[in-house]
Amino acid sequence: MTNGIGRAAGALLTYSFLGLMAFLSVFPFFWMVLGATNSSIDIIKGRVLPGAALATNVGTFFAQVNAPLVFWNSAKIAILSTVLTLTVSSLAGYGFEIFRSRHRERLYRAMLLTLMIPFAALMIPLFIMMGQAGLINTHIAVVLPTIGSAFVVFYFRQCTKAFPSELRDAAKVDGLKEWQIFLFIYVPVMRSTYAAAFIIVFMTAWNNYLWPLIVLQSNETKTITLVISSLASAYYPDYGVVMVGTVLATLPTLAVFFFMQRQFVQGMLGSVK
Amino acid sequence: MVHARRGSIGRYYDVNGWLFVAPVLGLIGLFMIYPIFWSLWMSFQSGRGMMMKFVGFGNIVRLWNDPVFIKALTNTMTYFVVQVPIMILLALILASILNNPRLFGRGLFRTAIFLPCVTSLVAYSVLFKGMFATDGVVNSTLQAIGIVSSPIPWLTHPFWAKALVIIAITWRWTGYNMIFYLAALQNIDRSIYEVARIDGVPAWARFTHITIPLLKPVILFTTVISTIGTVQLFDEVYNLTEGRGGPSNATLTLSLYIYNLTFRFMPNFGYAATVSYVIVVLVALLAFFQFFAARERDK
Amino acid sequence: MDNLARALPRIAGLALASVSFLAVTAAQAKEITIWCWDPNFNVAIMKEAGARYTKTHPDVTFNVVDFAKTDVEQKLQTGLASGTADALPDIVLIEDYGAQKYLQSFPGAFAPLSGTVDYSGFAPYKVQVMTVGDQVYGMPFDSGVTGLYYRKDYLEQAGFKPEDMQNLTWDRFIEIGQQVEEKTGKKMMGLDPNDAGLVRIIMQSAGQWYFDKDGKANVTGNPALKAALETVGKIMSANVYKPAAGWSDWVGTFTSGDVAAVVTGVWITGTVKAQPDQAGKWGVAPIPKLAIDGATHASNLGGSSWYVLESSAEKAEAIDFLNEIYGKDIDFYQTILQDRGAVGSLLAARGGAAYEAADPFFGGEKVWQSFSDWLAKVPSVNYGIFTNEADTAVTAQLPALTQGTPVDDVLKAIDAEVSAQIQ
Repeated sequence: MTNGIGRAAGALLTYSFLGLMAFLSVFPFFWMVLGATNSSIDIIKGRVLPGAALATNVGTFFAQVNAPLVFWNSAKIAILSTVLTLTVSSLAGYGFEIFRSRHRERLYRAMLLTLMIPFAALMIPLFIMMGQAGLINTHIAVVLPTIGSAFVVFYFRQCTKAFPSELRDAAKVDGLKEWQIFLFIYVPVMRSTYAAAFIIVFMTAWNNYLWPLIVLQSNETKTITLVISSLASAYYPDYGVVMVGTVLATLPTLAVFFFMQRQFVQGMLGSVK
Repeated sequence: MVHARRGSIGRYYDVNGWLFVAPVLGLIGLFMIYPIFWSLWMSFQSGRGMMMKFVGFGNIVRLWNDPVFIKALTNTMTYFVVQVPIMILLALILASILNNPRLFGRGLFRTAIFLPCVTSLVAYSVLFKGMFATDGVVNSTLQAIGIVSSPIPWLTHPFWAKALVIIAITWRWTGYNMIFYLAALQNIDRSIYEVARIDGVPAWARFTHITIPLLKPVILFTTVISTIGTVQLFDEVYNLTEGRGGPSNATLTLSLYIYNLTFRFMPNFGYAATVSYVIVVLVALLAFFQFFAARERDK
Repeated sequence: MDNLARALPRIAGLALASVSFLAVTAAQAKEITIWCWDPNFNVAIMKEAGARYTKTHPDVTFNVVDFAKTDVEQKLQTGLASGTADALPDIVLIEDYGAQKYLQSFPGAFAPLSGTVDYSGFAPYKVQVMTVGDQVYGMPFDSGVTGLYYRKDYLEQAGFKPEDMQNLTWDRFIEIGQQVEEKTGKKMMGLDPNDAGLVRIIMQSAGQWYFDKDGKANVTGNPALKAALETVGKIMSANVYKPAAGWSDWVGTFTSGDVAAVVTGVWITGTVKAQPDQAGKWGVAPIPKLAIDGATHASNLGGSSWYVLESSAEKAEAIDFLNEIYGKDIDFYQTILQDRGAVGSLLAARGGAAYEAADPFFGGEKVWQSFSDWLAKVPSVNYGIFTNEADTAVTAQLPALTQGTPVDDVLKAIDAEVSAQIQ
C-alpha cells in the first residue's frame, strides 16, 4: 500500500465520519422544521417529506398560546438572569483572581463544592423561601436562585488569569479607583469572555425548565419552555403544533449563537488557558 | 504572599477583594447553602406531607430496603459509566480531527456538531420522543436500509429505553465538550504534531500520546462537569417517559425518583431529601476519584 | 425642578393605583380561580358551570386555568408543602386515586363541605374517597365507569356479531382477539406496558384493590389482583395487543383504526367520537369478567372531583358555586353529557332525555343508559393513599410476567416494593 492511497483512504474515512456526525447532529433540526409542516398523525408515522399542514399548525399554535406574552416572559427572564449573572460573576472572578488572600482562597474552594449540589435537593426549601417572601408566581423568583453560579465565577476567574496586570498598574498610576478599573479597563478588554459567558448563561436561562415549572403558577407568567412541555404532555397532543412551538423556541438561542459565534470561540479559548 | 503584608496595603486589598466577591457569595449562601442545610435537617425527618416527625437515621435504613431507590441508583450509575466515556471519547476524536487547519469545511462541521447545544432539554426530548416512536422516522429508516426487520421498541423495552436516553444525551452534549477541547488544542504548538508526523508516528498514536496527555486538565474538567450533569439527570427522562421513568423503572434516575417522592407519591419530603443527599455524596466521591486518578497518572 | 420631574410619574402611578383600587372595591367583583386539566373535558365543563353561575351571580367571575394533569398535581403538592396560600387556586380538580393522599397529608388544607352539600344524592363510592373521619371534603364530579368499546366492522369480518360481545369472560375476549387478528390482521387492543390501568380495571371489577378496607397492603393474598395479572399476562403472551408508549400513543392505537377494541373509562367516549370517519363502526358492551368469586362486568378507571382550598379568599363563593351547579343543576349534567360525554355522579341527574337518547355514532345504541346502569354496579373499594406507589410497583413487574415468571413470584416482588414504599 503506497502512502498516497493510504492518505486518500484516511481522508475518505475522516470525511465520511465527520459527514455522518454532522448529519446526525443536524437531522433532528431538519425533522423539527418538517414536522411543523405535517399533521400530528404523519409525524408519528415517521413522514420525512414536507407536508401541507404548516398554516393549520401555526394557526392552532397562535390560537392556543398567547405567543407574544409567552415569548416576552421567556426573554425577560433570560435577559435579566444573564445580565445579573454576568455582573456578579465577573465581579467575583476578578475579585478572587486580583485580590488574593488565604481566606478568600478557602471560600473559593468551598464555593466550587456547591457545583455538586443537585437542584432536586434545593427545590422544596427554595419554594418555601419564595412563598414566605411573597414571590411565588413572579419572574423575580425564577431569576433569583440562578444568579449565583459557581460555574460562571470559575469561568471568569480562569479567564482573568489572561488579563494583563500592566493595564491595572497603568490605570492605578492614572489614579483610577478600583471600581473604575473594573468598569473602564477590565470589562472592555474581556468582552469576548463576556460574549462566551453570555451565550452559555442565556441558553441555560432560556431553556430552564424544572424551577420555572414549580414557581410559575398561572398561564400569564409561563415561559415558552413550559408551554412546549404542556403542549406535548396534553391529553391529546397535536405534534404538528408542538413542532411549531419547538421551532419558535429554538430560534432565539440559535440566533444568539450565530451572531456571537466568533466571540464565543475566542472566549472559550481564554477559559482553558 | 499578600496576607503576609500587614498594614494599610493589606487591608486595602482585603476590603476591595471582599467587596468584589461579596454579591456572589451572598447569593450562593442564601440560595444554595442555606437551603441545602435546610434539606439536611429535613432528611432526619419523615412523614406524610406537612406532618413530619424526627426519625434520626431512619431514612438511611429505609434506603437500603427500597428496591426502587436501588434501581434508580443502578440506572444513574449505568448512564454515567456508559455515557460519559462514549461522549468524552467522541468529543476528543472530533476535536482532534477538526483541529487540522487544512481540513476542508472545518467551520461548517464545527458549527453543525455544536448545534444540538442550542436546543432546550425539553424541546429535544420532545423531538426525540417523536423520532423514536414505534412507527417513527428512526425505525422506518432502520427497516428501510435493512438493519432491523421489525421496529425497535425504543420506549417500551427496558434495554432500548435506556439506550435511547444515552443516545439522546450524547447527541445533546458531545458538541459542547468538543468546543472545550478545540479551544484547548489551539494552545498546543502545532509543530509538535508536525515533528511526530515526520518521525512516522501514526495518527492514532499521536492522538493517544500527544493529544490526550496535553489535554488532561480539560478532560478532567469536562469529565467532572459531565459527571455532575449525568448524576443529576432529570429533564430528558421526565419528558421522554411522561415523567414515569419507565418501562418498569428502567430509565428512572435519582433526580426523577426525588421528584416522584415529592410530587407524585405520598409526599415525603424527609425521605426525598435523604435521596438528594445520596446524589451529593455520589458526586463528591466521583469527583474525588477523578481528581485522584488524574493525579496518580501524573507520577 | 429636576426632582419634581422625576417624582411626577411616581405620583401619577400612585394616583392611578388608588383609582383602580377604588374601582375594584366599588364593584365587589370576586374572581374564582380553578385549576384543572384536559381542555376538551374538565376545562370546558368548568367553563360551562362558571357561565351558568355568573348568570345568577353577576359579581362572581371565573378564571379556569388549563394545565397538564401532572402539572396540576405537582403545583398543588408544592403549594401545599410550602404553606403559602397565595400559590394556590380557590378550587382544584383531584383524581379520585390521589384524593386521600392529599386529604391525609395536608390536614386543614381543604374545606370540609359536609354541612353544605347533601352527599346522600351522590354515588356512594365517590363520597367514600373524599371522606376522612366524619368530615367529607370536595364535590363529587365525573365517574370513570368502564366499558368495552369495539369495532363492529372488524369483528363482523372475523365472524362476530354484537350479541357475541356481551357478557364475555377475559379468556373468551382473548380467543376472539386471536380470531380477529387471523381474519383482519388487526390487534385486539392497545396496551401501554408502562401503565397499570388495565390491571386496576380488572382488579376493581372483582371488588378488590391494592389495599384493604383498613388501608393495609393487599397484594399477595389478593385473588383479584392475581387474576388481573394473569389476564394481562395472557393478553401479552397471546400477543393480541399493539404496544403503546405513553398515553397519546395508546390513544393513537384506536383513533388510527389499528385495533379492534378499547377497555377503559367512559370519559374516552369524546375521543372515540372525535373520528367522524369511524361513525357507525363502534359498539359498546360491558367489560369482560374474571372467573373468580365476586367478579362483575362493571369497574371504574379514573374519575375526579372538585376540592375547595381552605385558604381561599373566595371560599364561601366557591362552595356555593359548586353546590349550586354540581350539587343541584340537573340540566347542567344533561348538557355536559351531550356535549362532552361526562357521566356525573349526582344520582338525581342520571336520567332524562340525554341519557335515553340513541347515539348514531354507535349505530343507534343507547350507550349513556348502558353506562348509567353499569355505574350502579361498580364495586366500591378503598383506594387508600398509596395507589401511585402500588401502580409503579405493578408496572415494574409487568415485563417479568411476560417472561414467564410465575404469578405468585411476581406478586411477592410487588409486595416487597409496595411495603418499602408505603412507610
